[in-house]
Amino acid sequence: MEALVQRFPGARLGVNAVTALVIWGLLTWVNQVIEPLMSYYLATAAMYATAMFGMTILLGLSGQVSLGNGALMAVGGYIFALTSMNWQTVPILGTPWNAVWSMVFAGFGGVVFGAAIGGIAARLRGPYLAGLTLGIAVGVPAIANRFPELLGGENGLMLQVPYPAGGYTSGDTSDEAVDDGGEVPLDEEPVYEELPDDFGDFDEEFTDEFGDELDSDPGDLSDEDLLTEDDLLSEDDFLSDDDFLTDEDFTTEDGFEAGIDEEIPEEDLLSEDDFLSDDDFLTDEDFTTEDGFEADIDSDAGADLDAGLDGGSEASEGADITDPAADLDLAGVDAGVDAGFAIEQWQASMAIAVACVVGFIALNLVRGRQGRVWQAVRDDPIAAAVSGISPAGSKISAFVVSSLFAALAGAVFAQILTYVGPGAFTLGLSLSLLVGIVLGGRNSFIGAIIGAVILVWLPEFVLDVSADRGWQNQITNNAPNFIYGLLVVLVVLAAPGGIVGGIQSLAGRLRGQAKSSSSP
Amino acid sequence: MIDFIDYLLGGISSGAIIALMALALVLVWRSTRVVNFAQLGQAMFTTYIALTVRELTGSWFLGLIIAMAAGLVVGVIVHFLVIRPVKRLDTSGAIIATFGVLIALEALAAMVWGGDPEAFPPPINNSGYEAFGRIWPFSPYDLLVLASVVFLVLALSVVFTRTNVGLAMRASAFNPEVARLSGVRVNRMLALGWAIAGLVGAVAGVLVAPLSTLSPTSFDIFLVFAFTAAVIGGLDSLVGAVAFGIGTGLVIALVSGYSDSSNAPLVALVLLVLNLLFKPEGVFSHHKARAV
Repeated sequence: MEALVQRFPGARLGVNAVTALVIWGLLTWVNQVIEPLMSYYLATAAMYATAMFGMTILLGLSGQVSLGNGALMAVGGYIFALTSMNWQTVPILGTPWNAVWSMVFAGFGGVVFGAAIGGIAARLRGPYLAGLTLGIAVGVPAIANRFPELLGGENGLMLQVPYPAGGYTSGDTSDEAVDDGGEVPLDEEPVYEELPDDFGDFDEEFTDEFGDELDSDPGDLSDEDLLTEDDLLSEDDFLSDDDFLTDEDFTTEDGFEAGIDEEIPEEDLLSEDDFLSDDDFLTDEDFTTEDGFEADIDSDAGADLDAGLDGGSEASEGADITDPAADLDLAGVDAGVDAGFAIEQWQASMAIAVACVVGFIALNLVRGRQGRVWQAVRDDPIAAAVSGISPAGSKISAFVVSSLFAALAGAVFAQILTYVGPGAFTLGLSLSLLVGIVLGGRNSFIGAIIGAVILVWLPEFVLDVSADRGWQNQITNNAPNFIYGLLVVLVVLAAPGGIVGGIQSLAGRLRGQAKSSSSP
Repeated sequence: MIDFIDYLLGGISSGAIIALMALALVLVWRSTRVVNFAQLGQAMFTTYIALTVRELTGSWFLGLIIAMAAGLVVGVIVHFLVIRPVKRLDTSGAIIATFGVLIALEALAAMVWGGDPEAFPPPINNSGYEAFGRIWPFSPYDLLVLASVVFLVLALSVVFTRTNVGLAMRASAFNPEVARLSGVRVNRMLALGWAIAGLVGAVAGVLVAPLSTLSPTSFDIFLVFAFTAAVIGGLDSLVGAVAFGIGTGLVIALVSGYSDSSNAPLVALVLLVLNLLFKPEGVFSHHKARAV
């Protein structure tokens, strides 16, 4: 293989492309046959792997300890969320917006931020860089809080994933979901967003003119107030209904107050046939023919809400490495039960595709000239500079590439959570990337993949063990991090190459023994 | 103008505590050339111990003393189990190892005491003094904090400048090989540096806990503040750590007062970036920054 590659310069590209395509095909097939819950794990692992390919380059090849990659994931996630929420068409080009464009812009944002941080980082070494990027990782929530209108503050932003519902959802599953009134949160936010504008207007009118007034304390109403409400109450629908607005209520002041107080509860207003059967905002077509709406009812809304609630509670808990993964399990299970083709499977195929594209780029960079440049600067910056390599340029380029990967991973993360917020991109996320890459092996992409699998698998393993032994929740939830911390220290002390490095050195020793025993 | 004075007064005690934390980082850096990113994790852990002791005995002071002892022990343990073996390896290994310790300590604290924030009430009155017809944002507790910090810094400076142990520690930090040739047990001095840093961090933790709440991750932000102060001070200088610790606390108090307290991490970040860009060797450092 190596001989072939050296003879034909273009062969390297081909080999890398075939590698990436084979892995993509394999994982896509696996994604078709496994349970939705497993697809969710697959999606999360692919997302971690995408980010950690960048860690391989930054930490392994370039030798820079950075905790900023979680923050750069936030950059990608927020850009994905903002562009997909706010832009219907691509600026300048004018073509219709889709998720791929959001990914492109997320990656572009990652490059810009990576260049900015890398420009500073190139002047720093060791602990200074680690401390600076630690500050960046801790500062991210502050930035979200700084611009609450744009970035949603502490609550973050919900986003609609471009889940191609029509292609996957079968008719009977959607019927099931509609019939199952208890499960379908018709009055919740995500459904509102999908409805025509008319509904929004009507809703607003209703709360402004009736809801607010009825909610306020009747004791505050003076005579003038009551009299001016004539406009409002002269609506034909309400005045003609004898049950709750009689003439007596209007003529005697006491009666009127009592009437507002007791006889017009909000349920009555809401249960009016006029209101619910209004074609403007809930028609049969909305339920049966509009695909996007079906998708929301099936699984999306539930997943959104779960993820949102979990994210919110996480934010208050602070950095916790395993939380985003552990919490999403619930959302994953719910949505998986509701839908025929689960959203997790779509998320996994998207995450796999991104991971394979990123892996392909990374392979080409690392196995080519640039990879040798990074290693040369890591091993001996002065010698590299003497050989005509710019150490600063090398460090910055490593930062930019890893930021690009992190931002893309962040965009994938946003689609897995269907949410972005300070609670999702904590210091714990940055630390978990560091943990994964150190445990898996910081010098190879295989190590990044193994690290990603460990990050997804260990919390589940601990959950299983804890279910058997009956551990308390606070032990179960934190045991994975405790194990991570101990393992990181152990790996740094005993096997700096991580699992991959350990296997390699073990294999090398065995081969050496075989050679020495065979040759006299 | 009165706002300005209020914000400064309110920032003094937190500045003094950040100074202690920066001091702990500097003590470790001087002895082993490692930035201990687990320093505030250790402080968090010993503060939980103080909280437990306080709940059992009702004595804040006893909690403080036990936390200080625990800080000593944890510092020595981390040094012997993690840092000494790892120092033979590359510097990035040491940095990663301290983060590993941080992760493990935060998880362990959450396993033992739970992840929810706990109140750590101040031992004495924490409402501001009243004078000239208004209430100033400076309380008896702030006075206690300030007195404790001044006492600790003075005691440390006496140890470092007036005792043989202090001389040996400074010699070990300045030039380990010559110190070893002169009969100083360098390894013991390095461990002592970690122990004192653990003690100082423990005091800082117990003092800062009443200003917010105590949770496994609530000191993360102070790690950033303390690192900022220590780096601006030169990472090598005890005086620099104290001066810029207080300075960082005051700047954060001013920015938080005039805008919003959620900006504090950004302020620390800006200070750090400016310093690293324009004076990377720090203000009080004795050494020139190493090339490359």
